[in-house]
Amino acid sequence: MTQPQPAPHDISKLIVRVSMKDRAAFDLLYRHTSAKLFGVCLRVLSDRTEAEEALQEVFVKVWTKADRFAVSDLSPISWLVAVARNHSIDRIRARRERAAAIDTAMEIPDATPGPEAQAVASGERAQLDSCLEELDSDRAAAVRGAYLNGESYAELAERHSVPLNTMRTWLRRSLMKLKECLER
Amino acid sequence: MTPGNEDDLERGGDDMLAAEYVLGVLPADERETVAARIEAEPDFARLVEAWQESLSPLDVFYQDVQPPTSLKRALDARLFGAAETTPSSSKARPGLLQSLAFWRGLAAACVAALLLVVALPFLQTPPATPPAERLVASLASDESDVQYLVVYDSRTGEVGLSHVSGEPVTGRVFELWVAEGSGSPVSLGIIPTGANANLPVPPERQAVISPRAHFAISLEPEGGSPTGLPTGPVLAVGDLRSI
Repeated sequence: MTQPQPAPHDISKLIVRVSMKDRAAFDLLYRHTSAKLFGVCLRVLSDRTEAEEALQEVFVKVWTKADRFAVSDLSPISWLVAVARNHSIDRIRARRERAAAIDTAMEIPDATPGPEAQAVASGERAQLDSCLEELDSDRAAAVRGAYLNGESYAELAERHSVPLNTMRTWLRRSLMKLKECLER
Repeated sequence: MTPGNEDDLERGGDDMLAAEYVLGVLPADERETVAARIEAEPDFARLVEAWQESLSPLDVFYQDVQPPTSLKRALDARLFGAAETTPSSSKARPGLLQSLAFWRGLAAACVAALLLVVALPFLQTPPATPPAERLVASLASDESDVQYLVVYDSRTGEVGLSHVSGEPVTGRVFELWVAEGSGSPVSLGIIPTGANANLPVPPERQAVISPRAHFAISLEPEGGSPTGLPTGPVLAVGDLRSI
């Protein structure tokens, strides 16, 4: 992107204006956030055509549901990413339950965050990272993989060669540990 | 499933369900059920949001990928109909529009805040005298950065102006006008510079100020419009509303 990245503050204002059906604000919001949200859709869906369709649907949701942002405590970018993630996960869940095979999504490597993103997120990320460190490494990897790639319990169970309910118990224990650590 | 496993599944209850939803591991039918609960149960929605907040630092691992430019056109067609396209100005002057748009967002927030500050004392005053009419207007325009918040109090016959942004060029002044529909504007005088100003309205002009009227600000030579009608560009307009 050649445009300077606007501050979260400005993204918030754009979302608020989009909730008032301001099309100029919608265009700007798209310009500043579509690359990030497309990255989310592509990572979860690992199919370009489907990701393109999902991104459109995500922005339709943003246009129609921008007022929800006002009652959210999330940062504007986290809110937008959550909309894109949830939509992509819903899509892939519907798709993958038809095709049982595990997708190639997990083979897409983690993107290395740019220095800017690293600086911005460093405080909260450092905390989450150190709490993930406290988990067994394969469980931390399962949490990260599930979040970033949208893997289901069924897929995780297959990959780790454990029954589905064992996987669920396993991940729930990890999540509880994670929460305890984050609350310290 | 062993009984031990079942206990683990029960432990944490809604909080764990919220975590699983955010993590994305649930099957389609359970995701649907959870999504419906988020809509219907504010307490549950808060659990989901707390988990989203905890895990969102992982978002930095999503790499930016530019979507094809055709996608925005398809999106616009889907949302706004095929006939309409993106406003041409946003393509012709992205830089200007961008700053204006950001500025307007800020100004709108300022106006909302000012409106509260200005209106609250009025709203809290018990009506001792026959209810006086108070009207407010937020004056702005896409064509300029001039913004004022205006309050008219029919009891005192005064217009109070709060300056939000925009200054007249040297040697020019802002003049305030009131008009109803397409009727001729009536001057309410030159707006004194400063953050706040009061303009007493002559009694014969007070009748024009009603909830059906609008205020406008034009740029005029020093001393005001020589003709009694706006001569310079109209820099800000706003409808009057009762409070």
